[in-house]
Amino acid sequence: MAKLIARPATDGLLPIEIGKAILEDAQPQAITWVAPFNRKKSAVSKTLGGFPGPGEVVEVKAGRALSVGPGQAMILGAPLDCEGAAVADQSDAWTVVALEGAAARDVLARVTPLDLRDAVFPEGGTARTLVGHMTASLTRVGPFRFEIMVFRSMTQTLIHELERAMKHVDARTKL
Amino acid sequence: MRLTCPHCGDRDLREFTYKGDALALLRPDETANPQEWVDYVHNRDNPAGTTSELWYHGPCGSWLVAVRDTTTHVTHRTLSLAEAGK
Amino acid sequence: MQFACKSASMRYSGFKVFLEGLRGQSGWKPVWRDPEPKQEYDVIIIGGGGHGLSTAYYLARNHGITNVAVLEKGYLGGGNVGRNTTIVRANYFLPGNSEFYSHSLKLWEGLEADLNYNVMHSQRGLINLFHSDGQRDAFARRGNAMINQGDDAILLDREGVRRHLPYLDFDNARFPVYGGLFHPRGGTARHDAVAWGYARGADQRGVDLIQQCEVTGIDIENGRVTGVQTTRGAIRAKKVAMVVAGRSSEVAAMAGMRLPIESHVLQAFVTEGLKPCIDHVVSFGMGHFYISQSDKGGLVFGGDIDFYASYAQRGNLPMKEHVMEAGMALMPMIGQARVLRSWGGIMDMSPDGSPIIDKTHIEGLTLNCGWCYGGFKAVPASGFATAHLVATGELHETAAGFRLDRFETGRGLMDEEGTGAQHNLH
Repeated sequence: MAKLIARPATDGLLPIEIGKAILEDAQPQAITWVAPFNRKKSAVSKTLGGFPGPGEVVEVKAGRALSVGPGQAMILGAPLDCEGAAVADQSDAWTVVALEGAAARDVLARVTPLDLRDAVFPEGGTARTLVGHMTASLTRVGPFRFEIMVFRSMTQTLIHELERAMKHVDARTKL
Repeated sequence: MRLTCPHCGDRDLREFTYKGDALALLRPDETANPQEWVDYVHNRDNPAGTTSELWYHGPCGSWLVAVRDTTTHVTHRTLSLAEAGK
Repeated sequence: MQFACKSASMRYSGFKVFLEGLRGQSGWKPVWRDPEPKQEYDVIIIGGGGHGLSTAYYLARNHGITNVAVLEKGYLGGGNVGRNTTIVRANYFLPGNSEFYSHSLKLWEGLEADLNYNVMHSQRGLINLFHSDGQRDAFARRGNAMINQGDDAILLDREGVRRHLPYLDFDNARFPVYGGLFHPRGGTARHDAVAWGYARGADQRGVDLIQQCEVTGIDIENGRVTGVQTTRGAIRAKKVAMVVAGRSSEVAAMAGMRLPIESHVLQAFVTEGLKPCIDHVVSFGMGHFYISQSDKGGLVFGGDIDFYASYAQRGNLPMKEHVMEAGMALMPMIGQARVLRSWGGIMDMSPDGSPIIDKTHIEGLTLNCGWCYGGFKAVPASGFATAHLVATGELHETAAGFRLDRFETGRGLMDEEGTGAQHNLH
């Protein structure tokens, strides 16, 4: 039987550097969705090493846990299982890219309705929102670095939208 | 126009989908007569002024009730369905 | 049919224009009177918009009923008849709608001669584009329905569309143009002029057009309507018609009625004046966008409703963004034009997307509402049918499907878009 070779959805598309922004692949080893059952949240939190509240990012044993909805987290890092919670491996369902640089926020401002100012969306903040017209998860992992997660099937559209926004922001700065 | 998602907080209108009059939460019980069902399914107060509506925040999957003025687009308050008693 | 101008000098003609040119334009008179309301009329029409004025006109012209008052809370034609994108067409698919809009287009075609008024009706042709095989099938079927109704429809292939609309982005990878359904008799008209023309025609036949007169109550005794209360006093009438799309729920509430209507805002846009570049009315099939060019040169375009309840007559930015994006995807050249202004109109959205012209459970009280985002083209036939209903007590054959009880019974629903007959889907 032929052996299939796993390749990332961003294969051959990234990195892209335009002006003061770089778009690069940031796919973690695994992406796991965790939703604690009723009254199990503290037990699950103990097992994982933390559980994020609304809008929070928490460093846990397996990696980074993002709040993605009421009572739900997505854990980016090592694969895991957890008693007392609904757990689903979504590693192949999402693409994660990172946008970094002094212009990163200006680029994102063109494609998301989210308020990206420091006071509202500080480093360590995460939000479910729209990027382009795609539903996405957006996390500010550094002062000038954002991770963007969309459904894997939309990878090329995401990169197209971001690349175009990067070009537009760069063209503006050169005026 | 901005609305407040009970989970995510204050967000832009683009993230939300309008789901109609909050009357939808007041489903008649099984013994209701046909006229009550017609009122529930089709007829609306449709006020020029304060109204209660269901909205859906697509990115996180939360539903909410927005108490809003249809003449000014001012949102007086938003409630989660739990707060709205559902 | 009767013709009863009060004086021959009121008729407009080329000779009259020439004569007034020689007289220093001193002979023009106000086009309609500004009467005080009488204590009683045979018929009161609430609402001095397109539909109310045409109802008054056809009551007088077709039925000889001239002891009529049109009560308008603002000024004539100050509502949706002056806030739309002026498209006139008869390209409906379903029985019930099809014959009605067909009748309306025929009335439009004779309107200027009938009213002796230039409403600038321009049958420049309307093209609905399609972008997939499935959409082609649907438009072919619609075209056949239009031809069966006696109207005109031509299915254009891609090259056929290119001959008419060479400026489209035919090779847009996401939304390639497969073809279009061409409706040559479709077009536009000058929206204000339609209201003014009907107002003048009604006034000349003796109808009282009473502006700045808001109805504040509807008098009902023993299940019969007896008149209305207004900001200018009580006025009696045994027949009252509510023709107030955009405010229908509020007015009907005065009669104790709850309607199957939700009010939504629809935005429209106009650019600076440009030289003629868009010769037709064009609609995009893969995003909600339609466009035409006004006689002043502005590109007039619009999209879908904002999709939330509103009486604000203004919309929000997301729909503006969507409309601009759709327009840019279809015809990138419009990116060069600057938008001068945008505005919103309040739409009576019915659950199945089709209107209501019917009696109510209150004797003598007639209801005309629910025009969704398609009321302008309906102005002539709506007034024609409403006048018929008020005068005779019978539904007119071209509007027999617009029953109020279709939602209750489920019979005769006209869901033209096929999205389901419930609120918030149209």
